[in-house]
Amino acid sequence: MTDVDTDVALVMAVIRPEKLADTKQALANAGAPSLTVTDVSGRGSQPVMTEQWRGEEYTVDLHQKVKVECVVADAPVDDVVDAIREAAHTGESGDGKIFVLPVADAVQIRTGDTGTDAV
Amino acid sequence: MVEGALLAQADPTAVADGVNTVWTLLVCFLIFFMQPGFAMLEAGQVRAKNVANVLMKNLMDWGMGVVVFFLVGLGVFGLAGMVTTAGVDVSVSSAFAYVNDDTAWVGWLFSAVFAMTAATIVSGAVAERIKFKAYVFYSIGLTAFIYPVIAGFAWGGTGLLSANGYIGEAIGVGYLDFAGATVVHMLGGVAALVGAYMVGPRKGRYDSDGNSQPIPGHSITLAVLGTFILAFGWFGFNVGTQAAVLSVDGDALAFNGAVLGRVAMNTTLGMGGGAVAAALVTTWTDGKPDPLFTASGLLAGLVAVTGAVPHVTWVGGLVLGVIGGAQAPIVYRWVTDVLKIDDVAAVFPVHGSAGAIGTLLIPVFATGGFSATQFAMQAVGIAVITVWTVATTWLVFKVADAAVGLRVDDDDEALGLDRSEHGYTAYPEFVDSAGDSGVAVTTGDAGPMATDGSGVTDDD
Repeated sequence: MTDVDTDVALVMAVIRPEKLADTKQALANAGAPSLTVTDVSGRGSQPVMTEQWRGEEYTVDLHQKVKVECVVADAPVDDVVDAIREAAHTGESGDGKIFVLPVADAVQIRTGDTGTDAV
Repeated sequence: MVEGALLAQADPTAVADGVNTVWTLLVCFLIFFMQPGFAMLEAGQVRAKNVANVLMKNLMDWGMGVVVFFLVGLGVFGLAGMVTTAGVDVSVSSAFAYVNDDTAWVGWLFSAVFAMTAATIVSGAVAERIKFKAYVFYSIGLTAFIYPVIAGFAWGGTGLLSANGYIGEAIGVGYLDFAGATVVHMLGGVAALVGAYMVGPRKGRYDSDGNSQPIPGHSITLAVLGTFILAFGWFGFNVGTQAAVLSVDGDALAFNGAVLGRVAMNTTLGMGGGAVAAALVTTWTDGKPDPLFTASGLLAGLVAVTGAVPHVTWVGGLVLGVIGGAQAPIVYRWVTDVLKIDDVAAVFPVHGSAGAIGTLLIPVFATGGFSATQFAMQAVGIAVITVWTVATTWLVFKVADAAVGLRVDDDDEALGLDRSEHGYTAYPEFVDSAGDSGVAVTTGDAGPMATDGSGVTDDD
């Protein structure tokens, strides 16, 4: 393991699927266009939903969300977080959460660059 | 006319036979295409862990079924007609004469595609927990014996329910079921209900208080695709049962355009009425129109008119379709909540009750007016087919239970029948590509899943 103290951070946001397009645009505007997107299911403060199969209702408490992971080196992390928060916001419960984690190191596979150069 | 001049030089019987045979072959191919319809309909309504198993059952219904129906089925069909009709000699050799008579083989194929439709109906009801071996055993029984006897009773020209058969003669008319609303569909639907009862509900279908808990299928897309494919093949099933496009009248050819038109119109109105009725009923009962029940309603409307299409007015075709579609969600709730039978793909409401109601009501909408005698014959015929199907299905499943067991064990049911019965995953992910890099890291015993054809390890 490398033991480098970088200025690299991972901004990980769980957002509404329908807010992905706005969020991508906002990240691009904030100078952090690179991202990884995953379909996820999860539970937070959003109330349970009911769905139907042949007229019988069943409860869904894991809601479909999109997880956006954005590794940030150059742009200010606060700007990236604000961009996501504004783009993904509706005011209803279920808007999701944003987490910021330190990244020990980054390596670009093609070039072998490390640290901020890799991001 | 030029066409008339050309036809005048030809033997009208040869022309009629040629046209009618080409038409019959075409509809055989259409009816065969109901098989992928059933396969997709059922695959969509089961969970992803049981998809390959339900597809395998559909493959065997057809593949094994045609062999069994050639070697045994159509002969039993003939014998069933002979033994239930006064004044007809019973001859095994004439019943099985088709085996070595190539002029009878288009007719055999026409009978076979109907038989295989009956066979493939059952798998949707018993899906996700029946043992594959037990299902195959039952499928052979249906194709060799259960279905051919009823077809012989109703359709052999002679036979118990025909005007010449013991029951038909006693009542005074023959049983009306044009393309098999009861002979094919109700038989399959009743057999499915008996089978689903005997094999028991899936784990988790009912809670400890006996209340039903939904188990959603994995693809409404496949279910609705299967519905439309079925409906497409059904044009062959119904319209093609009017197998004579041309008839010979003296030395002249007659075109049976009116009856073909009536059959095509009533088939189409039946499916339309069924879909609309089911959409309205589910909107009323559940607050929202239910896509899967609407698909069921379209098929139930088709079943309801299948016996009636040449016999009833267009109003009758539409009303029977509406009744068939409207009753499907209601009968499904009754089967689920009152009988406590886990009919996975709503097979009984779609094929069983819809076929019985539609065929019973033929005299009510008959083009020639109501006949109480005919109505009585319809009721008796439906009762005969139901009793026969319940008794023989029960017997065959009992034998299967004693021989191999009906149901997979709980662990296999939880794992899914794809893996436990076939070593398969319908939608595999993260499978290494073939080649050197595909060597798996061994981190313990291999599971029952094998991707290299080296076989399935014991689940334990």
